[in-house]
Amino acid sequence: MKGSQIKIEGVSKNFGDFQALKNVSIEIKKGEFFSLLGPSGCGKTTLLRIIAGFEDPSGGDVTLDGASVLPLPSNKRHVNTVFQSYALFPHLSVFENVAFPLRLKKLDNSTIARRVGEYLQLVKLDAHKEKLPDKLSGGQKQRVAIARALINEPSVLLLDEPLSALDAKLRQHMLLELDAIHDTIGITFIYVTHDQEEAISVSDRLAVMNGGEVLQVGTPSEIYETPEDLFVASFIGETNFFSGTVASVEGSSALIDAEQCGRIRAFMDKSVAPGDHITLAVRPEKIRITLERPDQCDKGLNCLSAAVDEIIYTGFLSKYFVALRGGHTLRVFKQHVNYFAEESKIAFGDKVHVWWDVGDGFIVEVKRL
Amino acid sequence: MFTVTMVFFYAPLVVLIVFSFNNSKTMHWEGLSLRWYHELFFNSRDLWNAFGNSVLIALTSASLSTVLGTLGAIGIYWYNFRFKKYVQIASFLPLILPEIIIGVSLLILFAAIGLKLGLLTIFIAHVTFNLPYVLLIVSSRLDEFDHSIIEAAYDLGAREIDALLRVIVPVSMPGIIAGFLVSITLSLEDFVITFFVAGPGASTLPLHIYSMIRFGVSPVINALSVVLIAGSIILAFSTQGIYKYIFQK
Amino acid sequence: MRKNYGPVYALPSALWISAFFVVPISIIFMYSFLEKGLYGGVVWKFSLEAYRALSNCAFLKVSLMTVVLSVLATLITLALALPAAYFIARSRYKNTLLFLVIIPFWTNFLIRIYAWIAILGNSGFLNNFLLRLGITHGYTQFLYNPFAVIIVLVYTYLPFALLPLYSTIEKFDFSLLEAARDLGATNSQAIFRVLLPNIKTGIFTAVLFTFIPAFGQYAVPQLVGGRNSFMLGTIIARELTVTRNWPLSSSISVALTVLTTAGVLVFLRINNNLGGKTKAEHAASTRLHLQIKQHDA
Repeated sequence: MKGSQIKIEGVSKNFGDFQALKNVSIEIKKGEFFSLLGPSGCGKTTLLRIIAGFEDPSGGDVTLDGASVLPLPSNKRHVNTVFQSYALFPHLSVFENVAFPLRLKKLDNSTIARRVGEYLQLVKLDAHKEKLPDKLSGGQKQRVAIARALINEPSVLLLDEPLSALDAKLRQHMLLELDAIHDTIGITFIYVTHDQEEAISVSDRLAVMNGGEVLQVGTPSEIYETPEDLFVASFIGETNFFSGTVASVEGSSALIDAEQCGRIRAFMDKSVAPGDHITLAVRPEKIRITLERPDQCDKGLNCLSAAVDEIIYTGFLSKYFVALRGGHTLRVFKQHVNYFAEESKIAFGDKVHVWWDVGDGFIVEVKRL
Repeated sequence: MFTVTMVFFYAPLVVLIVFSFNNSKTMHWEGLSLRWYHELFFNSRDLWNAFGNSVLIALTSASLSTVLGTLGAIGIYWYNFRFKKYVQIASFLPLILPEIIIGVSLLILFAAIGLKLGLLTIFIAHVTFNLPYVLLIVSSRLDEFDHSIIEAAYDLGAREIDALLRVIVPVSMPGIIAGFLVSITLSLEDFVITFFVAGPGASTLPLHIYSMIRFGVSPVINALSVVLIAGSIILAFSTQGIYKYIFQK
Repeated sequence: MRKNYGPVYALPSALWISAFFVVPISIIFMYSFLEKGLYGGVVWKFSLEAYRALSNCAFLKVSLMTVVLSVLATLITLALALPAAYFIARSRYKNTLLFLVIIPFWTNFLIRIYAWIAILGNSGFLNNFLLRLGITHGYTQFLYNPFAVIIVLVYTYLPFALLPLYSTIEKFDFSLLEAARDLGATNSQAIFRVLLPNIKTGIFTAVLFTFIPAFGQYAVPQLVGGRNSFMLGTIIARELTVTRNWPLSSSISVALTVLTTAGVLVFLRINNNLGGKTKAEHAASTRLHLQIKQHDA
């Protein structure tokens, strides 16, 4: 792997009274495709700009392969950025935009022509090399920006929400291309986005951020399947939340008095004691929905009865919105196996049973009172 | 009502143009003649000297004020520094103060430091009143483009001088050129300020015209006016391309 | 973060403006508090004589003349520019007409003044014309009086007033006038109650670009004003070069500077207050007024 390892150690950043970053520490491995995921204002772009050198942190350090980059100005770091607005030089052609870093180094024309040609081929734009930026489509501008950032052979590529200006289909396509480029070039990518689907589909690992803090770092499946935090659970994918008090603890499971539905069991991935107020997260696709009550209800399953309030059909799955006895709504997703024979039998207003394996629920918040 | 205004607008000029072909020195029409044009082109060495001075001063002062003004606009637009407010106010004032104040103040300055009045003092004065215009024009052009390209330039390894010469200047070029052209225009036109800072022997075209007017009505001035009007119109049409370039994007 | 190159960029301009604008103005300010030298120049003794002279009759007369001439010139200019701007904005040939307005602009300022001298002079075009037609029998003194000054001032500043007016009128939604007439307004009512309130900013800009420069004029009164129409600009020059009373010239300059700056600030403040309502809001509120009127009708 040709990239660098990056360590963000205790970085904080204040803008006046506003704390954009609070003691952030992340370790990014060589050659990883690492994403910083979070809503607007969570600090992810600020962190990226600190790594690039456009902002100085108020505290903490950023090291590349062990050496701090903070003393270096942005033009001397082996880090290049793909900007959200692409930042293509409007007065230069595609070729000259990509050649810009090489011209700064005063390389000779034939070397420049060769290397620019390589990178334009990588992003599949060599047919357009004489065009000016205003004649390019969004996706094409994107690719020029990527080629230009890569031609310097940096050890880290920073991407600041590069796909946010593109339409949905193009976004998907470009995301796969970015992934392919990453595999070909092999350097470390740090990708900033607020779109959790993007992040979990291409990242090797990601960090979920909110309010200037890192809430969880892990692989996409770790973050999705085992969220450690209420925010992470709600931000990634869709989740159902149950809140209640711990009634009793038996071995590795706890009995919860949930406000929404009465007694349910939770697996203790965090240790709790009776009396603690907790929030439990259960993903909709982990909840089953049937017209008949299942047999194993008291052996490791949580079973509830509900009425179907709404069904949204999306072609390959149905989203059921069911009302529990207390009025609380639960989201249940069922992928269609044999629609006409099975899933279509559940209709609006039906009384159904919803149930999930105790192990599929995660305690995401504990409040000791 | 509009026609009244237009007539008011053009009548003096029409009279001027018509009487430039008058055979007499007075405003009595005495037949067509080109004698004043002859006088203008072949017998007015002082006038053409003055014209030459005007062009020289216009080009040189416009160049210097464009350079100073462009750099100044870049500094003010992108950075904060302690004397920034001062520069902004100090460069705004000349735009609103009457020319006589600027002219008189420069005269007094030159007297106080013992600088003899001449082409140099005219040059200094012209740069001084052109500078705020360039600052204004270039600043507004700076306002119009996506600033992340400057960060991109640094990111890709550009030093400050690279970013300036390869990115900022090329992209702001329409504004810079507009500032330069405005400076030339203002410089060629200027009378009041130049009047106070010019010395004997250093004359510009407006000053020469003034002294001709002082002498009394002379149709040579009419002829000159016609030449100037024709010249400006020709110039305007042939530089349409430049205007398009300045106002694009 | 990159080094703060701001001072490097701004320093050359800052130095130039300081040396050749700020310092000279400061010198004038200083001189206004000094004593007059015997043969011109100044004596370095503190004195308020120059300012006391500002309260004497002659000076006040000149100030009054300056104000009156500027105000009249501005009003007449507006009266001509407004209909012209309106006409152009409504015409199909906007760009050509605008171009026609701007062309005379390109002639040298002095030549335009000269044109009026040639017309208004004692043996000028106008006099000759009237004599020929037998309307007058000797020459009439058109030149070298306040009226000539006003005429030439108007001629000079007409384009400066017309362009901002045109720009604002061009953005005006003319269907409001149709709505007004539909509700029974006469033409002049429509203009005064609907058009004018909505182009206030344009009018104010036009006034700003006419009044302030006219107030500080030198060349026009100097060339066509004669002895009866001194303005502040001309007496500044006179005190400097003729009577060689530098402190007095300085104090008048200071007064003119202060008045001009104050005038601009006042205009800017008024303009900001006007700009409180955006154009759309203006149009909307005008429609509302019209609808209310309709209900009353």
